[in-house]
Amino acid sequence: MSSNRNYDFLIKLLLIGDSGVGKSCCLLRFSEDSFTPSFITTIGIDFKIRTIELDGKRVKLQIWDTAGQERFRTITTAYYRGAMGILLVYDVTDERSFNNIRTWFANVEQHATEGVNKILIGNKCDWEEKRAVSKEQGQALADELGIPFLEVSAKANINIEEAFFSLANDIKKRIIDTSSKEASGGSSGVNVAADSGSGSGGKCC
Amino acid sequence: MTRIMTSSTTPPVIDSSTSTAVGASTSAGTTTTTGSTATATTATVPLTHPTTVPTSRPARSSSPGSYYAMSDEEEGDYNTITHTSTGRGVKLLYTKSKVYIHPTPSAKDNIPGYIALLQQRGGTQHDRPRSSSSSSGRDDHPASSDLLLAWIPESSLGESANLYVKVDLCDGDSPPKQSYLVPPPPTVTTHRGSVGPYAFAIPVSAIYSLLIRPPSVGWWWGSIIINSRAGDSFPALFFHDSECQSTILQKKKRTADTFDPFGDAGQMFWGGDEVLRWLKRYVQIERSGAEPNIYLVEPSKEDSVAFGGKPTTSGTKQGESSRAGPGGKKGEEASMDPFVKLIKEAGWNLMEKFSKVTTFTRQAANDVLDNPRVPPQMRRLLRNPEVQTLQDEFDSARIYLARWAMGIAEQSDRDRNRRIWTARDVMELEDTDVGEFELVDGANSLSLEERRKVLTMKEWKGFFDERTGRLSVTVDEVKERIFHGGLDPEDGVRKEAWLFLLGVYDWYSTADERKAQAASLRDAYIKLKGAWWERQVDLGGEGEEGEWWREQRNRIGTNVHMEQLKDMLLTYNEYNKGLGYVQGMSDLLAPIYAVLQDDALAFWAFQHFMDRMERNFLRDQSGMRAQLLALDNLVRFMDPKLYAHLESADSTNFFFFFRMLLVWYKREFEWDDVLRLWEALWTDYLSSGFHLFIALAILERHRDVIMTHLKHFDEVLKYVNELSTTIDLESTLIRAEALFQRFRRLIEAIDRKEHFPGPRRTLSTATSASATAALAENKAEGSKLPSPPLPPRPQSGPRAASSPATATNKGKNAAAKTAEEDKEEKVEKIVTPALRKLLSREVEIIRAPVKEGQGYPTRERA
Repeated sequence: MSSNRNYDFLIKLLLIGDSGVGKSCCLLRFSEDSFTPSFITTIGIDFKIRTIELDGKRVKLQIWDTAGQERFRTITTAYYRGAMGILLVYDVTDERSFNNIRTWFANVEQHATEGVNKILIGNKCDWEEKRAVSKEQGQALADELGIPFLEVSAKANINIEEAFFSLANDIKKRIIDTSSKEASGGSSGVNVAADSGSGSGGKCC
Repeated sequence: MTRIMTSSTTPPVIDSSTSTAVGASTSAGTTTTTGSTATATTATVPLTHPTTVPTSRPARSSSPGSYYAMSDEEEGDYNTITHTSTGRGVKLLYTKSKVYIHPTPSAKDNIPGYIALLQQRGGTQHDRPRSSSSSSGRDDHPASSDLLLAWIPESSLGESANLYVKVDLCDGDSPPKQSYLVPPPPTVTTHRGSVGPYAFAIPVSAIYSLLIRPPSVGWWWGSIIINSRAGDSFPALFFHDSECQSTILQKKKRTADTFDPFGDAGQMFWGGDEVLRWLKRYVQIERSGAEPNIYLVEPSKEDSVAFGGKPTTSGTKQGESSRAGPGGKKGEEASMDPFVKLIKEAGWNLMEKFSKVTTFTRQAANDVLDNPRVPPQMRRLLRNPEVQTLQDEFDSARIYLARWAMGIAEQSDRDRNRRIWTARDVMELEDTDVGEFELVDGANSLSLEERRKVLTMKEWKGFFDERTGRLSVTVDEVKERIFHGGLDPEDGVRKEAWLFLLGVYDWYSTADERKAQAASLRDAYIKLKGAWWERQVDLGGEGEEGEWWREQRNRIGTNVHMEQLKDMLLTYNEYNKGLGYVQGMSDLLAPIYAVLQDDALAFWAFQHFMDRMERNFLRDQSGMRAQLLALDNLVRFMDPKLYAHLESADSTNFFFFFRMLLVWYKREFEWDDVLRLWEALWTDYLSSGFHLFIALAILERHRDVIMTHLKHFDEVLKYVNELSTTIDLESTLIRAEALFQRFRRLIEAIDRKEHFPGPRRTLSTATSASATAALAENKAEGSKLPSPPLPPRPQSGPRAASSPATATNKGKNAAAKTAEEDKEEKVEKIVTPALRKLLSREVEIIRAPVKEGQGYPTRERA
């Protein structure tokens, strides 16, 4: 059964941030390398998958996308729990979405698993003429929160890969590499990845 | 060479090859001219005798006023195009719209176009055997080298677009009587990768074979790949039949004429069948015995014989059309069997997408193979070693296939004649329960098919008194018709009826009263709109209103309708300040606005709709929770086995129905279906909670796949999310109604038994106690609602004596089966308050009425 598996590790990520900042677009860019300018709000929750390679290991990323509107937060926070990494996304052309990052961060602290990896993402960085949040501001906030930071553009395909890879790499270091050492065994001993190749759903509800 | 056509109407030449045989007759490599001419046969040719297009007759063009009208008379110049276009026009014999090329895995890159059979003036017809008989159904017999099978993107049709539309819709066995001349597309005999804008026209004589794959479902269209004699494969042409007006019409016609929605080969009729039919009129097409998906075009004897061996047409080489798969086995592609290649190219990304869902075991795979619904070609495909390798790379190809098979079934529901469906399948659905369960209300004497006939404006008008305009039948009668038949989408009856359904008009108002009502509503709307307009000048605002503005800004660009929608939503915000704008509301408004086409009336219709939908958007999500809980109870009650499975998959939160319930399936069904569904739901004909029976019907439809293959919440969620736009509405409605009727009867049976305990029944304390306990703890956590109080326990359980004979597997409807089994055997049916509410037709409205005296009407519903 596990021999059929096409990956070595499964990592669950979560995208959060105000509505309209481009969470779904970032995800679409990363998972399907496409972009759509049309505006369809995410209702409920969904995920996409992409398998990447990290240090010779195939890492399957299951990336959950949530509705950003505050109204749905009671529902979406239920999904924080299973996540190993969280992308906090704001829109560099929208100061309010930036200011709300603190709230999102607090939410994560409250609901997510302790020690979950995070990264701050400023989307739409290609849109210079509309920019309302400088890169320095973004970096400063990231430093304050103690998390990595990247400006990206789903539309122009800037840094999207980097964002996901960097987060995945951090998670791999945190969970997989350490536990591999402890177990001094193969990758199959790793808790997060070894549930016979099936998704680890269900933990989130 | 001269180019007479303007470049805007003539797609550029992609590639011209002088290389290989283009068919014995054509002088490959020579550029020849095509005068257009067009042979217009006059209208005197009788339809029934669609023969003889007298090519010698002077040309007369058929499309007045257009460029094509100037078809010239220089017949002598009408010649063979072999690889480039210089002429004025070619004759459009047949065409079909919405045939796409999918150049990349992303749907947004799909290019819509027309596939067409064109005839150029034949200069070299001597090599074709000519049938002398005109009664054979053929008209003239152009040489296959004079026929062009072409694909032209919509974007490059230019002026000829209307001709293509016309010919597409011109339904007939023969080509149009009139000649439609269109600019010749660039003629090629080979295709190289993804060069240029893809348009091509290949002489039929240069086609070696067609790789034809019939359609399956929404995510995998039927397709045709043209393999040339030169050894090339052209890009796959995908037939988006659901968008293609002519195919839809042809399907309808087939079912109407013959009650046979199936194509010649007994398969589902689809656009590709038409292409084969066109070609067969002119050339010999032979289906390969070795590989039934390959159709040889004018095969030589050797081909016919030799084809038994290897279905490969030739080594194909093609530019990469997509990201290489993880396995990176590009090297093999050159020698790949075209069918596998097709899977690789078209299926790869889909497979990959699917692999993202879950993992599969060999066992599950075999289960899929054993499923009788898996079509033979799929079976064959699965045995192909190439495909097996592919599967190994993807942990969930199997679920993909399971879904695919489900899709086939769904598709057949969609295409099956409605009458046949209702008669047969409803019976199937019910055959486990005959006697106890009658679908048709005794009161209603109309037959099923009459009840499901669409309600037209004419019939609608007949409901009203001519003089006063007052309804002269009962509201229930009208609602029944709408519930079962739906409103005619074409004749504008929706525009009127929706205002009644949504409560903008009182059902028993007179025409004058309605006129007055409409006028006062318009005033009220303007007043409300004015209220926020002033405050909104600064474009922003605070809170969610401002958030909403930001969301909208710079999104779709300005568009009058978007602006109107925006205004209405903001006006609604003014009307119901407590709620604010919540994502999803626009999904609810858009169809109403589109149908009513009047912003003021649409606004008030929306306001009424929101009365019942508001609970979905509450801050604490209590309304959504309550509905998900009701769905939980309903599934548990109706299909305990499925419920148990969902429980084991941690999926009884039913969160995968969140979107569906929030916006009433707006994103799950095609637009037209959404309108049909909503009007049925608005009637509250059976239950004000009928949308939950729709959910149950969808679940039941996919019950087997869910129970066999989906073991985890994420798998279930993904699967259900991706049902979007693949669900057949009509059969879902029928199933939902049947399920409701069953539900009602079960409840009634329980109620009866509670009052009159049967003598023979004994209470199995253990079972009922655990069931009760399970229910009690079930939703206690996670729900802000108080967990439902348990109904008083009856002294003896509502269990019928278990009789193994009747519990055997009858019929294929699993829900019916388990419902019966469970009733008869074990599980205690518990009627929770949430369930009992589902029997009610009362719409629950949570919001307190707005304060009076603001100039707009207060709600009318009790």
